[in-house]
Amino acid sequence: MDQTAISINKLNKWYGDFHVLKDIDLQVATGEQVVICGPSGSGKSTLIRCVNRLEAYQDGHIEVMGQEETNLPRLRRQVGMVFQQFNLFPHLTVLRNCTLAMTRALRMDQAEAEETALRMLERVRIREQALKFPTQLSGGQQQRVAIARALCMSPKAMLFDEPTSALDPEMIKEVLDVMADLAQDGMTMICVTHEMGFARQVADRIVFMDAGQVVEVAPPDSFFANPQNLRTRTFLEQIL
Amino acid sequence: MTFDIDFLQRILATIFKAMPLTLLLAFLSCIGASLVGFALETLRRTGRWQGYLLRFVIDALRSTPILVQIYFLYFVLPYYGVVLPGPVIGVLAMSLYYASYLAEVFKAGIDSVPRGQTEAAMAVGLSPLDVTLRVVAPQMLRNIAAPMGNYFVSILKSTPYLAVIGVAEMMGTTLEIASDTFRYAEPMILLGIVFLVLCSIIAWLVRRLEARLMANTRR
Repeated sequence: MDQTAISINKLNKWYGDFHVLKDIDLQVATGEQVVICGPSGSGKSTLIRCVNRLEAYQDGHIEVMGQEETNLPRLRRQVGMVFQQFNLFPHLTVLRNCTLAMTRALRMDQAEAEETALRMLERVRIREQALKFPTQLSGGQQQRVAIARALCMSPKAMLFDEPTSALDPEMIKEVLDVMADLAQDGMTMICVTHEMGFARQVADRIVFMDAGQVVEVAPPDSFFANPQNLRTRTFLEQIL
Repeated sequence: MTFDIDFLQRILATIFKAMPLTLLLAFLSCIGASLVGFALETLRRTGRWQGYLLRFVIDALRSTPILVQIYFLYFVLPYYGVVLPGPVIGVLAMSLYYASYLAEVFKAGIDSVPRGQTEAAMAVGLSPLDVTLRVVAPQMLRNIAAPMGNYFVSILKSTPYLAVIGVAEMMGTTLEIASDTFRYAEPMILLGIVFLVLCSIIAWLVRRLEARLMANTRR
């Protein structure tokens, strides 16, 4: 865990006059899993959306694998993202959802791309649904396809933006299990989630954000057992 | 007014003879108007200044009569050394005029695709062009097939304007018979019926296409 995969330095972002992110500093090592939690409106999603530049920021630097890539499609191929609403492409089959970026952006040939896609679908345990359309799948299945789609680009790191928040309760586990497997395999992950059980089990460190600031960073054990900051304590009391 | 079978046959023969060119002009104009309209709307979104400029272009094209635009291209371009045959002027004029209307249809279409689709497409590293052509456009089409089809019908119905610059489409050739014989009723009635049938066929095809697009991509 020596090399830094994602390095966020003195990041500031404003929406007009509203200061959403204030002097954020966060280093994520290669192979590390970081969970970001905090009350809604604290800037968690905005922060990880800055990493792949779905959001622009006004001040500060974000380096991925040691460099600040200015070619956005190239940057985004290095960092996979999974969204709260899955955002699968409804006009394409599950398989084509996975191969589209490989054939178009990586210029891979169709057969090779399909092979990779099927391997990734296998990894999220949904290979048998490859020829269906997204709307024919349950929410949990769709989100696993979304994870496979991101993995197809062989990303250096994965960003998860509340991946289970739009799911019915009985489908949350299948998605978290897949994410835990990924973590086990050493994928670098930043995950915004309210699933504290997952955080406790999988995260190397937990980041607590409030009002656009990183308030506390700690390994799960001390984060839950002995939170240092008053705001962290109040938050944990409310959700646990 | 007595209907004379020979006369009717002569009119019909003339209309049918001009039909291939008329349909070709309309077809090419549909393609031209769609491409230009989509380009106008996509480029309009790329930045603030492009936005102002193309908004003005779209409004200007839409707010001047098509007949003025046809005459303008036909009589003014030659001043600048550009002499184009009538049918080419016709396709050009109809493409530009209807592009401005289709740009509005595409605006609604692009807005109808959820923001998350664009974000997901960008997040896997697709180029902006691929995001537009591979993800946004196909999803947009099923939402706007009906209004697009309406404008395709309008384009076909606008081909008679091209008679004024001497294009041998159905209106112009039918009008020749009428003015030769001073009998206007039969030629215009028949021409009206032919347009009615052609437009109904297009409308029916568009409805079928729409149904198929809907069936393929359930949401």
